Amino acid sequence: MYESALTLENVSKQYGNFTAVDDICLQIPRASVYGFLGPNGAGKTTTMRMILDIIRPSSGNISILGHRSALEVRNRIGYLPEEKGLYKKMKVSALITYFACLKGMGKKAAQQRAKELLATYGLQDYSDARIESLSKGMSQKVQVLAAVAHNPELVILDEPFSGLDPVNQQVLEVLINNLSDNGQTVIFSTHIMEHAERLCDQILLIAGGRKIFDGSVTEAKSLVPRRVLLETAGDVSGLKNLAAVVKMIAIENEPGTDPQWLVEISNEAHPQDILKYCFDQGIPLSRFEFAESSLHDVFVNLVGKTGREQNPG
Amino acid sequence: MNVIRLIAWREYLENVRTKGFWAGILLLPLMVTGVFLIQSTLSESAPTRYYLLVDQSGQYRDTVESAVELEHQRRVLQSFMNYLLDNRKERDLELTAANARSVADQLVDDIDEDETSALNEWIENGGLNFALTLVTPYLKEDAPPFESPEQLFIEAPLPEGVDPTLAPPLLIEQLRPYLRGERRIAVEGENREIFALILVPGDVNDHILRPGIMPSPDQSQYRGVQYWGRNLTDTRLPDAIERSLNTRVRSQEFARNGVDNALVRNIQRTRLALSKLDPLANDGEEAVSMADTFRQYAPVGFVYFMLLALMQSVQYLLTNTIEEKSNRILEVLLASVTPNELLMGKMLGIGLSSVTTLTAWLLSLFLILNFYESAETSTLVEIIGIILSSELVPWFIFYCLAGYALYAGIFLAIGSLCSTLKEAQGMMIPIFITMMIPITISPFVVMDPNGTLFRALSWFPPFTPFLMINRAAANPPLIDLLGTSLLLLLSILLVMWLSGRVFRQGLLRSGQPPRILELLRMMRTDSH
Repeated sequence: MYESALTLENVSKQYGNFTAVDDICLQIPRASVYGFLGPNGAGKTTTMRMILDIIRPSSGNISILGHRSALEVRNRIGYLPEEKGLYKKMKVSALITYFACLKGMGKKAAQQRAKELLATYGLQDYSDARIESLSKGMSQKVQVLAAVAHNPELVILDEPFSGLDPVNQQVLEVLINNLSDNGQTVIFSTHIMEHAERLCDQILLIAGGRKIFDGSVTEAKSLVPRRVLLETAGDVSGLKNLAAVVKMIAIENEPGTDPQWLVEISNEAHPQDILKYCFDQGIPLSRFEFAESSLHDVFVNLVGKTGREQNPG
Repeated sequence: MNVIRLIAWREYLENVRTKGFWAGILLLPLMVTGVFLIQSTLSESAPTRYYLLVDQSGQYRDTVESAVELEHQRRVLQSFMNYLLDNRKERDLELTAANARSVADQLVDDIDEDETSALNEWIENGGLNFALTLVTPYLKEDAPPFESPEQLFIEAPLPEGVDPTLAPPLLIEQLRPYLRGERRIAVEGENREIFALILVPGDVNDHILRPGIMPSPDQSQYRGVQYWGRNLTDTRLPDAIERSLNTRVRSQEFARNGVDNALVRNIQRTRLALSKLDPLANDGEEAVSMADTFRQYAPVGFVYFMLLALMQSVQYLLTNTIEEKSNRILEVLLASVTPNELLMGKMLGIGLSSVTTLTAWLLSLFLILNFYESAETSTLVEIIGIILSSELVPWFIFYCLAGYALYAGIFLAIGSLCSTLKEAQGMMIPIFITMMIPITISPFVVMDPNGTLFRALSWFPPFTPFLMINRAAANPPLIDLLGTSLLLLLSILLVMWLSGRVFRQGLLRSGQPPRILELLRMMRTDSH
C-alpha cells in the first residue's frame, strides 16, 4: 500500500523560456487536507494540471495514488478546475450523473448518488433545473458535487472558494471536512488564508513557480515571529535589550494618540515578559495586544516580494 | 470504450435536443414540398397570352395560326404524357426502347427520342382523341379523365380604327401604346393586355435568306416577319412561329425546285435506331436501359450525398468543440477522459447526429414523393429506388464512413485550436478547397472512370472517398480498389493520431490559432 496519496519529485514546467513551475518536491499523506497557497500566477494551477496529467512536466516525476499517471487512476480522482464551466443545457442531476458515469459509476448508482448529494447540500429543489438557470455560485456548487460524486480517493479543487458567498463558502468547508472524515485526500488551492488555516493539515506555499514552504500549519506559523503591540507615551527603547525581543518597529500613529510600537518576540519568549518589563520600568501603557501569528502573516512574510503577480500558470 | 459511448451519446442527445436540429430536419422536406407546389401552381396558372396578327402579304396567316395550334398541341401532348406516366398500369424503367411492351411505352419512348416527329404523328393521327382511344386499355382502371390544358396563345382583334394595310412603320406607331401595355384591347368583353404583335410585311418573301446570297444591310433590323413583344424570356410563341414559317418556306422551296414535299417529310422522319449495349452485361441483357444509365450516374448522387453528410457534420464538429472550449468544460472532461477518447466520442456522437438528419431527410423525401403524386415525383421515387438497389451501396457506405473519419478528425482538431467560429472558418478554407476538387471533377470521372489522371488522383487519400465512389461503378482495377482503400485507412489512422496530438494541445490553448509552423510543431510533439 502506498504511503502518500501524491509525490512530486523535482517537477518543473517550462513554456519556452518561461518557467511556470520550478523544481517542486512534495509529498502529500493519504487522508489529509492539503492546501496550495500562493499569489496569482504562482504556478498552483500548472502544478495541479501536471498532477492530473492534463499537461506533462518538462522534468521530474509524479506518483499519484501509487501510479505514474493520473490517467491510470482517473476514476479514483475528482477534479474541480479553476475555470469553472458546465454544459448549460443539461439538468443538474443529469450532469452530476454524467460526470459520475464518466468516472466509472453505473448509471443507477450515479443517479442515486446525485440525488443524495443534492439533498445533503440543499440543492434538491434544483435537481431538474437546467444549469443555465442557476446562479454562478450555485452552478459552482453543482460542479464541486460533480467532482466528488464518484467518491474519489483524491479530490483536487482549484480555487474552490472563489466566487462563492460566505454562506456557500461555509457549505464548501463542510463538504471538505466531510471528505476528510471519510478518509479521502483533499488538495485545494486558495489565496484566502482563513480557509487554509481552518481546513488544512498541511500546506504548500508557492511563489514564482518555486516552493517557499511545505509542512503543517503550525510549522508554518512558527516561521513568523510573534508580535506584541504597545501604545505608550513612555520610553520603551530599553525593550531592545531584552533577550525575548527580536525587533521593534515604530508604527505611525494618528494625531492625538500615543506612539505605537510593534515588538516581535522570539518563539521561546512569553509576551508577559514584555508586560513585566513595562510594569517594572513604570512605562504607562494605554494599549497592550498580543497576537499569535496567522497564516496570513506567514504568507505575507514568506511570499513577500516574490508574491507579486506573475505570469499565468 | 464505455467512456467513448457516454461522450458520443451525450453529444448526440445535445444535438438532437436543439431546435436548430429539428429545424434543419424539417427545412429540407418543406423546401422540396414548396418547390413542387410552386412548380405545379405556376404551370397550372400560366396566363393566357393575347397576340395581334397582321399579315400584309396574305400568305402566312394560316402558317402562324398553325404554329400557335401546334404549340398548343405540344402542350396537350406533354400534359398527356404526364397523365400517361401517372396512370398507366405498368411502368418499368428497366425497359429499353427495343423491348417496350405496350403502346403507351412506345409513345413515351417516341417522344423521348424525337418530340417534333412525335408531335407531327400525334396531330396526323388525330391528336388527343386518337391517343386516348389508343392508350385506354393500358390505363389503370381508376385513372381520372384527362384534362386538356387551356389554349395559351389567343389572337386578339386589331383595335378599332387601326388600318392593317398601313406601311409597317406607321402601323407600329399606331399599335405601340398597346404593345407597351399602356392600352388594352377588348377581347370577349374584357380588356386584355397584348403580349405580342406578329407583323408579316407585304414584301416578306423578298427577305427570304438563301445560302450564298447576302442580305442587304439596310433591312437588317426589320428583316422578315416582325415579332414585337415586351416579354423577352417567354420564347415559346416566337420559337413556334419561326419553326412553322421555316417549314412553310422550305416546302415552297421544295415545290419551286420540283421536289416532292411529302417525300422529303417522310425522308426527314426516317430514323435508324442506335442500340446502346453493355458488353459487361449477361448474354441477352446487353441492351442499356434507362435504369442502367441511372445506375451509372448513381455514384455522382452518392458523392453529393457524402458531401452533404460531411457539411452537415462540420457545423456540429466545430461548434460543439469551440463551445466546450469557451465554456471551460474541456478541462473537467480531460480530468475524466483522455483527449483521444474525447475525440472519438465526439466523432461518433456527431456522426450519429448527421446520420439521423440524413435518414430523416431521406424518409421525408420518400414520404413527400409518394404523397405528392405526379409524373416527376414518381420518376424520382423510381430513380432513388434504382440508386439504392445499386450494388455500389456497400462501397458508398464504406467510403462515406471513411471520408467522415478522415475529415472529422481534422475538423475537431481545428475546433480545438480556435476560440470562435470566425477563427475556425479561416482555418477551414484549405480543407474545403481540398474537398471541392474531387466534387468538381466528379461528373468527368463518370465519363472516364479509369482514365490515367483519375486513377492517379484516386491515390491521394483526401480525394479517395469521392473519386473511388465514382469509379466503383466502372469496375476499376483491383489494385486501385484495394490499394486506395488501404492507403485511405492508413491515412485515417495517421490523421486521427495527428489530430489527437493537436486536439490535446489545442484544448487548453488560449489566444489566436497557431500559425502553420506552430501547428507542425504541435503535430511533431507529444508534450502538452
